[in-house]
Amino acid sequence: MTTFEDTGERRRRTDRMPVITELLDEATLGGIVEEAWLALVGDEEFLVPSLGGPVSDAVSSWVEVVGPWTGSVVLTCARPTAEELARCLLKEHAPPVLDAEDVEDALGELANVVGGNVKGILPGPSVLGLPQVGAAPGAGAPDDTCRLHLLWRGRALTISAQGSPGGVPSAT
Amino acid sequence: MRALVIDDSRAMRRIVSGILEGFGYETQQAGHGREGLDVLDGGWIPELVCVDWNMPVMDGLQFVSAVRANPAWRSVTIMMVTSESEHGQIVRALAAGAHEYVIKPFTADAIRDKLALLGLLPEGAAL
Repeated sequence: MTTFEDTGERRRRTDRMPVITELLDEATLGGIVEEAWLALVGDEEFLVPSLGGPVSDAVSSWVEVVGPWTGSVVLTCARPTAEELARCLLKEHAPPVLDAEDVEDALGELANVVGGNVKGILPGPSVLGLPQVGAAPGAGAPDDTCRLHLLWRGRALTISAQGSPGGVPSAT
Repeated sequence: MRALVIDDSRAMRRIVSGILEGFGYETQQAGHGREGLDVLDGGWIPELVCVDWNMPVMDGLQFVSAVRANPAWRSVTIMMVTSESEHGQIVRALAAGAHEYVIKPFTADAIRDKLALLGLLPEGAAL
């Protein structure tokens, strides 16, 4: 008779999924965002911590991460800020007139770069989704959210790594 | 020299193409791996392909495998330019046949250094 020893390596249904605050702190997330900002937005573009608050006419871009931790990395700012970000991202490659697709594409790419680097520091293999733009996805429990409130050129933006409600990714 | 830039982000295609054109490359762009293969199938064979990983329709890893499966495209050098930063993913890309790997965010200097390593920095491009 063959017996199987339980090595404890398999995930049990009762295993608790880690929350993001056990895997990522604000300083690490801030470092990832700062590196992305300097490389993509401009090497003299700085982010300043702020107290946060509501953003009017907000637009969000995000990528989903599915793995040992499941959630989204979300960038939220006002639409005029998103337009300014897109122009900075494209620099001299920007067309004379930016259309909505240019702006959403640039905002999505920023979330993609930050999300990809967040994924890179999570334990174990994870899958990164394609960037999405629109109203921010729902967040999970407060302790499953690592959020930065920042100012760029005096304009508010928020970047968060937030668990999905129920620990599963939203429908895409 | 010719370069094909494959990325589902229009912004990133423009940025990477702009950097390469600054080095003297002639570039074409494609929005996903399948479109990239269509460019090669059409007879426009570049020295260099810069390809993202996560894309709709056909991702970068599938594109690399498809190019490597065709002996006619053996001369094409492939550099993955992606936000996938997991070590395991880098190993997978190189094992599939990519020559170099650049993690986003990158600078023009990082691209230039990789091209120099690959011997694909056109003559006259500033070092």
